[in-house]
Amino acid sequence: MMKKELLKSTILNVDISDIDLKPGPFCMSFNFNLKPIKASIGKFGVLNPPYLLKKSDSNFIVVAGYRRLLSVKELGWKDILCQILPNDFSPFQALLLNLNDNLIHRKFNNIEKGMVLQRLIGFLKREEIVTNFMPILNIATNKQTLELFLGLEELEEEIKVSIAEERLSLRVAGFMRNIGRDDRLRINDLFTSLKWTFNQQWETIQWIIEIASREGRTIKEVIDDRHIIEVLNNDRMNNPQKVKAIVKILKARRFPSLLEAEKLFKKGLSNLSLPLGVKIIPPPFFEGIDYRLEIVFTKGQELKEELAYLYNLPGLEEVTDFWKGAEHR
Amino acid sequence: MKQFKIRRILLERGAENDSLAQKILKKLPNIPIENVKPDELASREDIEEMDKESLRLIHFRGDFLKPCPGTRRYICCGYQILNVGINCPMDCSYCFLQSYINQPSFRIFTNLEDRLNSIGEIIDSSPDKIFRIGTGEFTDSLSLDYVTGWTDLLLPFFSNRKNCILELKTKTSFIKDLIESRYRKRIVVSWSLNTPRIIANEEHMSASLKSRILAAQECQKAGFVLAFHFDPLINYQGWADEYKETVHLLERYIDPESIIWISLGSFRYMPNLKWVIMKRFPETNIFNGEFVPGLDGKFRYFKPIRVEMYANLSEILKKWYNDLGIYLCMESDDVWRQSLGWSPENSANLSSYLDNRIRKLMAY
Repeated sequence: MMKKELLKSTILNVDISDIDLKPGPFCMSFNFNLKPIKASIGKFGVLNPPYLLKKSDSNFIVVAGYRRLLSVKELGWKDILCQILPNDFSPFQALLLNLNDNLIHRKFNNIEKGMVLQRLIGFLKREEIVTNFMPILNIATNKQTLELFLGLEELEEEIKVSIAEERLSLRVAGFMRNIGRDDRLRINDLFTSLKWTFNQQWETIQWIIEIASREGRTIKEVIDDRHIIEVLNNDRMNNPQKVKAIVKILKARRFPSLLEAEKLFKKGLSNLSLPLGVKIIPPPFFEGIDYRLEIVFTKGQELKEELAYLYNLPGLEEVTDFWKGAEHR
Repeated sequence: MKQFKIRRILLERGAENDSLAQKILKKLPNIPIENVKPDELASREDIEEMDKESLRLIHFRGDFLKPCPGTRRYICCGYQILNVGINCPMDCSYCFLQSYINQPSFRIFTNLEDRLNSIGEIIDSSPDKIFRIGTGEFTDSLSLDYVTGWTDLLLPFFSNRKNCILELKTKTSFIKDLIESRYRKRIVVSWSLNTPRIIANEEHMSASLKSRILAAQECQKAGFVLAFHFDPLINYQGWADEYKETVHLLERYIDPESIIWISLGSFRYMPNLKWVIMKRFPETNIFNGEFVPGLDGKFRYFKPIRVEMYANLSEILKKWYNDLGIYLCMESDDVWRQSLGWSPENSANLSSYLDNRIRKLMAY
């Protein structure tokens, strides 16, 4: 059995004004709501005293209990009982103490996970962090993911909030690091002003970047396209409708030949006047050569009649050529 | 074009006594050597870096001769890969090896010489079959020749067999050892070609278009049969004119009569390759085209775009000379028909077509 090492701390009543309440080197809190904790402290007081380290200037630095301290300050407390860690308590131990304190009572958001990893990087090798710390943070254990999380801190505050609130996909955020500040803020605006699924975000950001590269424009210019702005300002559309419309606009710009082919195929079919319940489905992306015919019927006789009608339908023999006049650019 | 710099040698246990390993070590006396175990493998992230400065000498336990990994849904030429090593110094942004290889470094299989007899047995056991064999699938056939001496080893071996040809595919101008050899029979030297823009932007360590064509000219004058591969064709604004210019340059220096075949293939990629490429070459423009998922899971240009590119290029090539053995790499029957006006219909017939080219041009 492992020998238990007792934490040698001393309890002390500390003036709030003597505590440095800026997010310090052990802080792993981002985008939090103090309301519930303030309500709890208001009713029952601080059940677990914060842990502090004494700084050289006779002030204190927060090791654990950052939110509790902010709450009591907002509640107007002048002082608070704290656990003071010994002077020889190392920064790495302090970091682990805070990490463990947080892990037992709450979940980290993705920005906070990035903060934890960023702080660990000062003390440990990347391999060690991947093996020993990423699993406890519920993160896929590989260096690529580690780099993704480490890079989150460089992003702008607005983007970090979107990530923390899970309104912006982490994968998209990782991708955003490769593009300029103005462009990524514009993408963040677009994705968070409407409700996009993470898959839609991922597909769309690629299209936007590829359109910009192909047309020699900035990402912002692609997003600020007149048609997209019209959709965004359309009061008669709800958010999912707007997302759908923007996806359609971007897809048409990203895949003009494919869209033209789809349009021609649809037009060709509509000229055929297929009976209700009959569908002709082209191969996905027109890549294969097999088309499918779908007939909905309830009785065999009905099927026979549909087939006889289709047999005599003029133009049906050209169905596989409907899309082939597509001009591509 | 300068030779590639090798900065360290990783000598895998088991390879030290192989003849090729000893030859390589003799040729690189001042390069630091690290002894490694076969199971000392790199992590995923290191694999992505590909480590194009180290030479790992390996006693290879797998098959040296393997059919090209074509897919059922597209017509494949039936080429056989002679697996002499994996990884390539050219560092082309579009290269499939970036997501295909499972270990970094130039991995050279040093027991090649010892295994040639068994390869010979395979070839000799099917005397009615023509083996089209190449070393240019997993590496560049000539880029590391100054170290590996592959041509010294392989040319006499294949030149003396009746039912095979060896195709050496390259993007370099490293032909000195080829020219100096006395073997010509059953050897095809081929160049992968692209437009100067694609070469400059995407084929980072390769020779310029003109250097490749001049090297090809020299080989042709020295009696080698030539082949060319326009693969991958990249669709970008101005592609048609620039590929036309590329063919015109070829016309200026090469006699078309002894070209055994010219393949055309468009850029295609497995989905995961895109992310590796975007990471290694964020400035690349190769993904700007209209790609759709193909029947084999790889992304390809939307079919009419491919057809237009193939039709355009083959027309230019045919105007130059009408018997170039043009074929498409990994394309469907309908794309063949729409772009070239005919189709072999299946992989077996494409193989026969290419075998007939060998019979016709190589005094088989």
